[in-house]
Amino acid sequence: MSRVRLVNITKRFGNTTAVSDVNMDIAEGEFVTLLGPSGCGKTTTLRMIAGLVEPTEGKIYFDEQLVNPLPPNRRNIGFVFQTHSLFPHMNVTDNIGFGLSVKGEDKQKIAARVQEMLALIGLQGYEKRMPSELSGGQQQRVALARVLATNPRVLLFDEPLSALDRNLRDQLKYNILDLQRKTHKTAIYVTHDQSEAFAISDRIFVMNLGRVEQVGTQLDIYLHPQTEFVAEFIGSNNTLAGEVIQSSDGAGERQVSVQAGNLTIQCRDYLGLKTGDHVLAFIRPENIRVLDNASSNHYLNQVEGTVEKIVFEGSTVHFDARVQDTLLRVELAGTERLTILNREGARVRLGFDEVTLIRRN
Amino acid sequence: MAEREVTATPFQIGTELPRARQSVFSTRTTTLALLLPALGVTVVFLLLPLAFLIFISLTKGRTFFSATTTFTLENYASIFTQFLPNLQESLLLALLATGVDLIFGFPFAYILIRKVRYRDWVRAFMIFPMFGALYLAFGMYFILLPNGMFAPFIQALNKNGIQIPIYGLQSVVFAMSIFTFPFMVMNIGAALSNVDPKLEEAARCLGAKNWQTFTRVILPLASPGILAGILMCFGWNVGAFAEPLLLGSVAEQRAMALTLYNRGIVLFDYGTSATMGVVLMVIAFSVTYFSLRYSRGALVE
Amino acid sequence: MATNSLSLPTSKPAPRTWSFSLRWTEILQHAYIIFCCIIFVLPFIALFQYSLQKSSIISLNNVIANYSYVFGSFKDNLITSLQVSALAIIINFLISFPAAYAIVRYTFPGKRFLLSLLSLSLYVPAVVLGFGLVLTYNFGHIFIGSIWGLVFAMAVGTYPLMLTPLIVALKDLPPSFEEAALCLGASRWQTITRIVLPLIGQGIAAGVLLSFIIIFNEYLVTLFVVGTAPGLTTASLRVFNLVRTAGLLNTTAALAATMQIISFVVVLVFFRIIGTRYLKGTYLI
Repeated sequence: MSRVRLVNITKRFGNTTAVSDVNMDIAEGEFVTLLGPSGCGKTTTLRMIAGLVEPTEGKIYFDEQLVNPLPPNRRNIGFVFQTHSLFPHMNVTDNIGFGLSVKGEDKQKIAARVQEMLALIGLQGYEKRMPSELSGGQQQRVALARVLATNPRVLLFDEPLSALDRNLRDQLKYNILDLQRKTHKTAIYVTHDQSEAFAISDRIFVMNLGRVEQVGTQLDIYLHPQTEFVAEFIGSNNTLAGEVIQSSDGAGERQVSVQAGNLTIQCRDYLGLKTGDHVLAFIRPENIRVLDNASSNHYLNQVEGTVEKIVFEGSTVHFDARVQDTLLRVELAGTERLTILNREGARVRLGFDEVTLIRRN
Repeated sequence: MAEREVTATPFQIGTELPRARQSVFSTRTTTLALLLPALGVTVVFLLLPLAFLIFISLTKGRTFFSATTTFTLENYASIFTQFLPNLQESLLLALLATGVDLIFGFPFAYILIRKVRYRDWVRAFMIFPMFGALYLAFGMYFILLPNGMFAPFIQALNKNGIQIPIYGLQSVVFAMSIFTFPFMVMNIGAALSNVDPKLEEAARCLGAKNWQTFTRVILPLASPGILAGILMCFGWNVGAFAEPLLLGSVAEQRAMALTLYNRGIVLFDYGTSATMGVVLMVIAFSVTYFSLRYSRGALVE
Repeated sequence: MATNSLSLPTSKPAPRTWSFSLRWTEILQHAYIIFCCIIFVLPFIALFQYSLQKSSIISLNNVIANYSYVFGSFKDNLITSLQVSALAIIINFLISFPAAYAIVRYTFPGKRFLLSLLSLSLYVPAVVLGFGLVLTYNFGHIFIGSIWGLVFAMAVGTYPLMLTPLIVALKDLPPSFEEAALCLGASRWQTITRIVLPLIGQGIAAGVLLSFIIIFNEYLVTLFVVGTAPGLTTASLRVFNLVRTAGLLNTTAALAATMQIISFVVVLVFFRIIGTRYLKGTYLI
């Protein structure tokens, strides 16, 4: 139930900088995710919050308390590891009760708390089982119960579901969210899996190469990526490099024309661009529609392209459209996706409105 | 969309960040404190006595403990004059025992690694020599004595004119080689088991005969282990004590370890005996140093 | 189809001589191994057989007579041996565990050198170590006539055999267990005693085993360090002295046989219960 703040956190290992000037402000009871590829520094950041690693520079606060000088066992946190964390020589009860027993709580209180926790995770009756007798999913649930038993003020998750199967992952992440809501604890979750992050977070910190690229809700990040990395890492995107050749104010909004290779694209401008600015234009595959001959002249951009490489993925179909020299990936869903299936090599008309622009140096 | 603003709230005085360290747990002092007991024991009970020996080897006779300590290099000279036979004897015994170990140990290791499945039983038997050269030497008596185990067998040999003397070079070397046999086997065995059998198969597929595969594929790949085994056995055998003492004739009793004991503990000639200790130490160290360079078994990344 | 002038040979079974000689080779190989194994235990068996006799007669009475002598007259020696072993093993653990922990979990320069330094004593000849120690003790007037002189001598000679299995065991222990314990609020001490030590129990046992085998049967360093000090003669030293002075007595043989039997049983029990994983790299496996 603590507010967590990171102020100018940097971590260097010798000559390598793992985390560079990271700032975070996480509200009480909020569920945030640190999302990024391997090596982006998200786990290191999490471990610094836990106290397992000491920052090279910067300060970490829980509420108003500076926690830098405190070792992990004095920070009152709960840390759920990816794997290998349940003590193999203790049964479920002893594992869950460990945090309380090291504080010298009396046995009855511990037993009662363990029962409470087992009910919370739905594993009543498993008291005497050893960790090796539990499935992967059960182990992680026990690990969850173990950290909740001590009533920590912050919950930290280091890719807890990565070692589990897909189906288990899908189910367990909602369990985690559920427990977090019930217990109102601040949760900081690390993962590289975008769908996991999107499913359960209040806010997401997208990280890359030790820096926070963007912070925001799922909608913010998906619909309005602010850096090239975020645009490409989150979902899929067509990336076009180009230059602004014209800008205009019409109908109350600014628009620019961007010349990218042989293509000229009309985009709405939220950045205040001028002619000659270099930009990256991002077009999401699902935002490109296949137009039938008749109507649909309301799209800002309409181009013609040849259909290549159709892939039927089940609920979606994607293909590459060769528009002059550029290859645009298009994704179709719903019933209309089936109409493209026989049209390999055909020329189609495509239309799209949504283009995200990001300045390029 | 702008990131939420973060302002550091000024609050309690005196909670400044401590000096940045590598990680919360590995401080210099903690590491040192953890290593100190082992290092302390090593320094006090190993390095100090060894240094002490070197120091005393430079003194004359028993003058170290007396009021008038005389320093001299005579002791080292005497190793190569007066005590040269002793040095030679130790080296000879070690060489012979190591040779026996190599000749008998290599096939043993090869068969053990490649062909035999009851390896654990064999290992159980191989433990016995490791209990100590003392029991080996002692037990030898009972093998060779007229009223020992093999009495009828030995009497039969005697009748045919073959005498097997108890005390002598052969008994000493035999006992010594049994003691260090497991070391040879383990080193060679480790090296052999690291040779991928697929390489042998590949050689055979390419048309090599058994002998060729052996000399040109297996032997070169196992040679580091063989070398390590030779050096390790030699290092151990150079300091042989019980075997020459209990089983040796006059010639074998010249072994340097025995001479050290006699001159040092019995005659109190500290200077000479310390010198012998230093010589044995140097031989053992240099041999072992090279054996470690060639053997596997690195525990550090 | 017309028959060819070349007729394919009908398949024949492998020539008898070839398979016969292959079998012979295998038999010879097994025989060699068994022969060598017998040689290993031959001294022990000879000793043992002698310990069952009195005046070349093996009888139950003689066996009882010899072995009760062992547990009678040599009882003090055996007790001393066990005491020295126990104390030295405890010291081995107390100095090796912290060092192993630092080596595995912490980073610092010169680890290779440190490990070589901490393995040094295994490669010092026993006469050299023994002689150096007795001179040091006398010069420093320490441990004269005390069991601790012998205990530390044994400890310094064998602690690398405790260090190695501990390092192996700690390397195998994922750091996440300790981290989990710390995050749950355990102190360093609680983490070590309740999590780390139980989980490296097998490594500790391997170290205990190796140390015990060496220390229990050690006679040479003991000879130098103890000499003739009263009450400090270990069983193996007693064997040595007796062989030198009284020659070939059945009772001495019985004592020597007992020592080896005890050692062998301890090793067997260990192998049964724990296995050989932690002995790798220590050249005793």
